[in-house]
Amino acid sequence: MKEELEKITPSKISSFQVFLIHVCCGLALAVGFWVAHNVYSINLIFDPTGTLRLIWAIEFPVVILLFSCFRQKPEKCSYLKAIARGLLGLPVGALINALGALALGAPAGLQYFERTVSWSLLMSSLTFVPTACVYGSCWTDWHRIFACTKPKGSLDFMLCLPAHGAVIGAWFGAWPMPLDWERPWQDWPICVSYGAMAGYVAGMVGSLGLALMHTGGKQLKAE
Amino acid sequence: MAPLTCTKLSVITITGIVTQIFGLSLFVFGFFPVKPALPGTSGSESFFAPECDFVGNLSDTTLPSDQLKSLYQELSGIPPSFDRLILMVADALPAEFVLGKNEKPPHKQFKEAMPYTQSLLASGSAIGYHSRAAPPTVTMPRLKAMVSGAIGGFLDVAFNFNTQAMMDDNLLGQFFRIGWKMVMLGDETWLKLFPRLFKRHDAVSSFYVKDTVQVDQNVSRHLADELSKDDWNLLYFQILHYLGLDHVGHIGGRSSALMAPKLKEMDEVVKLIHSSINQSQGNRQGRTLLMIVSDHGMTEHGNHGGSTYEETDSLALFIGLRNHVFDYASVINQIDIAPTLALLFGVPIPKNNVGVLIREAFDSLKEDQHLRALELNAWQLLRLLHAQLSGLPCRNFPCDAFYDHQSSDSSECNHMTENMLCCLYMEAAALYTSWKSKRSFESTSNKDYSSTTAAYYKFLKSASEWLSRRTTDKPVNLLALGLTTLFISSVILSSLMFCRLREIYHRGNQQASNLKYSMNGWSFDETFIVSVVLILVTCMTSSSMVEEEHYTWYFLISTFYLLLLRETAQSLSSVGLQSFFPMQKGQSGEGFFRICCSFLLLISGRISRGWHQGGVNWTSLPDISKWLEQAGSPYVKPLQLMSAVLVISIGLFALFSIESRGKCLQMVRLSFLISGLLVLLHIARYQDYALSSTNYGGTFLVQIIYAILGAVTTGTIVALPWLIPLSTSKIFPADNTFSPPFSPSIQEKFPLVELRDTLYVVGWAYILCWCLLQLLLQQPINTTPILLLLLQIVAGVHYFARSGTHLKEWVEIAGFHCLGMAGHFALGNSNTLATIDVAGAFIGISNHSTFLSGILMFIITYASPMFILLSLVMYISTKSVVHLVIPEKANAGDILMMLLGFPCLVPLVLNSILLTAYTVVLLLMQNHLFVWSVFSPKYLYVCATTKPTEKEAAAHSCRSKR
Repeated sequence: MKEELEKITPSKISSFQVFLIHVCCGLALAVGFWVAHNVYSINLIFDPTGTLRLIWAIEFPVVILLFSCFRQKPEKCSYLKAIARGLLGLPVGALINALGALALGAPAGLQYFERTVSWSLLMSSLTFVPTACVYGSCWTDWHRIFACTKPKGSLDFMLCLPAHGAVIGAWFGAWPMPLDWERPWQDWPICVSYGAMAGYVAGMVGSLGLALMHTGGKQLKAE
Repeated sequence: MAPLTCTKLSVITITGIVTQIFGLSLFVFGFFPVKPALPGTSGSESFFAPECDFVGNLSDTTLPSDQLKSLYQELSGIPPSFDRLILMVADALPAEFVLGKNEKPPHKQFKEAMPYTQSLLASGSAIGYHSRAAPPTVTMPRLKAMVSGAIGGFLDVAFNFNTQAMMDDNLLGQFFRIGWKMVMLGDETWLKLFPRLFKRHDAVSSFYVKDTVQVDQNVSRHLADELSKDDWNLLYFQILHYLGLDHVGHIGGRSSALMAPKLKEMDEVVKLIHSSINQSQGNRQGRTLLMIVSDHGMTEHGNHGGSTYEETDSLALFIGLRNHVFDYASVINQIDIAPTLALLFGVPIPKNNVGVLIREAFDSLKEDQHLRALELNAWQLLRLLHAQLSGLPCRNFPCDAFYDHQSSDSSECNHMTENMLCCLYMEAAALYTSWKSKRSFESTSNKDYSSTTAAYYKFLKSASEWLSRRTTDKPVNLLALGLTTLFISSVILSSLMFCRLREIYHRGNQQASNLKYSMNGWSFDETFIVSVVLILVTCMTSSSMVEEEHYTWYFLISTFYLLLLRETAQSLSSVGLQSFFPMQKGQSGEGFFRICCSFLLLISGRISRGWHQGGVNWTSLPDISKWLEQAGSPYVKPLQLMSAVLVISIGLFALFSIESRGKCLQMVRLSFLISGLLVLLHIARYQDYALSSTNYGGTFLVQIIYAILGAVTTGTIVALPWLIPLSTSKIFPADNTFSPPFSPSIQEKFPLVELRDTLYVVGWAYILCWCLLQLLLQQPINTTPILLLLLQIVAGVHYFARSGTHLKEWVEIAGFHCLGMAGHFALGNSNTLATIDVAGAFIGISNHSTFLSGILMFIITYASPMFILLSLVMYISTKSVVHLVIPEKANAGDILMMLLGFPCLVPLVLNSILLTAYTVVLLLMQNHLFVWSVFSPKYLYVCATTKPTEKEAAAHSCRSKR
């Protein structure tokens, strides 16, 4: 009984919407880079703090505005409330990301503080904020998506895959850091950010593919 | 397939281990050949023919230098051709830049950059050679080869890891002995090699590779001054070592835009020196030889270290010999420089020299002097041959005395190498004797002379080749056999583990209904552990990843902890949100406890990671231990005492938490308490002076502690299983509130519970004993990492004890293995031999004993991996066996196998896979730059890790036999 209810309740989302959201998020990232390069003429290597902050400033509003449209139980929760949830989720997610990075060995010195903060803000808007906007503080949903990684439906995939992609990408991005290549991008958090963004984009592509397959399968079944 | 029985399992395991040891020793034997080197330095005895009753040095080394010099001159019969030597080393200058390649002139751009040198070469006043350098083509071994004529093996490095100074017989030492004044300007490597020989020196460091200008200006700034100094009367040796060219290469490669200006600069230096020599030649007597050499070449990209032609093609340029004009430069070996210089300057050839005289350098000598020089070189090589070939019959030594023309002809010189060398030598010696006798009748012909020299060169060349091949060649068969054996053993062990896994998996399937999580498919952690192994194997192929291996381990272990945290979160709401309500307090408490454990793991792991900044490249970054050391002992001491107290109290708490009134157990507790207090006393009172040998009190105290710890631990291990009256029902260790719920059927199995209690006590006895030893031996700064390590172990064990079936046993043990390696690096160890704490190895030893201090050094270095292996005993005892003991009538063997199978197998399998992989890497990389500095020490570490792993496994299986 309960399971049936859960199956019905997730708000429907078409593969076109998924496509739209992912394209917007990806474009926001790209625009962030473009603005950093061409308007402020900074880049990730020489000014990681500024660039990360700039990308975050462009990505975060896009993410929060888009994902709040797909909030769960829209009749109970207004658009503004969803945005407020996202805003609240941002510092929490940033804290969790920063702690995770520290546990994995990010430098803890004060001179890295600003970089860590801007990196974790960006990571939070890639991983935490969407889910916070959509599901709020519902523990079962969080548990399903993040602890068990058992997403159901396109919406879950849309939240789960890019977030996991970003985290796993960041994890792999950290590997070149200790090598003695003496390249400037080996510094914290440059290659980690590159990895995270690459993983995020890969996750979006995966989620899009799954959404297409899902709807395709449904249509086939319907026929 | 028939299920494994306990006996079968242990027999196969032991076979695997024995195979592994066998293969490892084969491989090590083949890879690190021990080269017999002659000790001591050459003295006047090198001017006499080698004899059977060969005795060491005559006492002539005690002679004053001027007498020694005239003695040498008298004995050798060759007047020194030169009095002054200026050795200019241009680091990494390929001979191709100066001499061209394949009989073609050098590239136009390079030729134009060095006009003066090229004009000297064209006029014939300079003779240039391609001198082949032996790998590894890095500066220090090359300099050693140049001055001693020997090709070093790896064990030279391994045995002298704490002293860099060159102890072997070498040219500089010989020059010093006959009273030369030596001056060195340039690379500080020379100062490290020869710390006290130089009268004046100005060393520059090659640390700042980006600097290509200053590093050479610092050499040249003294040059004009030095050349005009008055005190270089007659005996003078100047070394100029220019590093700039090497730096240019490292930055931009061979075709760097900076290369031509740098060559121009070198040319200017040559011009300056040569014109100053010509001037002084006019007004003074001394004759000067200017040698321009490079230690090695460089690849197209400016790197060096390997054995390609570009890297080994180095330059040797003599200026000041009799004029020769060559169409193209011939090829010599770099080691040939040593004997040539020795005889040109009238000192004995260094003892372990493998080189051969350079022919053109002796052209200015008279015929008899040239032959005499060849004879001296031949004698020296013959001595070396005799040292390496004990089979070389002694009667061959005074060959020339017994030689009979009729008894042998050159056709005989084709047999085995040893005989051939001897035969060649005899032939040359005979020709020389006949030449000498003919000369006394004034009837020598040019033909005799040239045939004699040809015969000598033939002997020298083949002997030199044979000797150098012997030092660098590796017996391929032995290596292949060793590798195959290692591979077989790792296959045996891993297939054994796989069998066990499958068995357990089947059983799990049978009663999947009992288990919340059925064991179908791979779980995430198992994938993680398998990928850890793959990542580690991949990382070993990269030299910088081996240098910075600790980062890999830290990263993997903290990822593992994060996965544990995620696992906890997963299980938390398998109970759902209700777990937050009081009605299911037990389970939520357990979840909460596990979350606490994983946070404790994460935090203590992170702190111990930050404790020592290990490795090679980033050692200068700040870390906690540096910061504490700067803060000084008022901070270190309390911290150390606090950590020690905490460590001891954790251990004692665990021992006292067992509810038993047995006398035996009380004894154990009491004696650990006493020894803990003694250790604290030692830390508080003596540790500051522990290294001064006069401190009898401290040494005595330490000895008492050793004795108590040894006695208690052995006593516990041996006697406890028989003495302990533990078999009353409610003795399960650890605080009962946390202990996992037992099904009554297990509680009734008294022998099993008893066994587990015993294991628990024994495990804690191991842990406490090891901790106390470490507190005693490690540096004060390392006390806190030990505490952190203990905390991680305890937290991990408690976490796993409560995890039930969420995690599989082998995953947990593999996690512990990772923790052990991470802890190894957290205690300040690294993959270089330089971080071994030698000082600690003498604590509590009153008289010098290599064996005892070796054991202590081992205890210090392998503190963490051993710690983990010992604590596995404790881990076994706390592990819930609910899901393991399935058959109603399990016999003792089966239970033991359940308990001990994985803890023995998993470390063995991991270690054997890594060992085999690393052996392959070492074999593939044997010509790589870092094989000497990175891979080989790492290999020694891996070998040494193998030992305790195996020992531990043996101990486990011994227990299982009981």
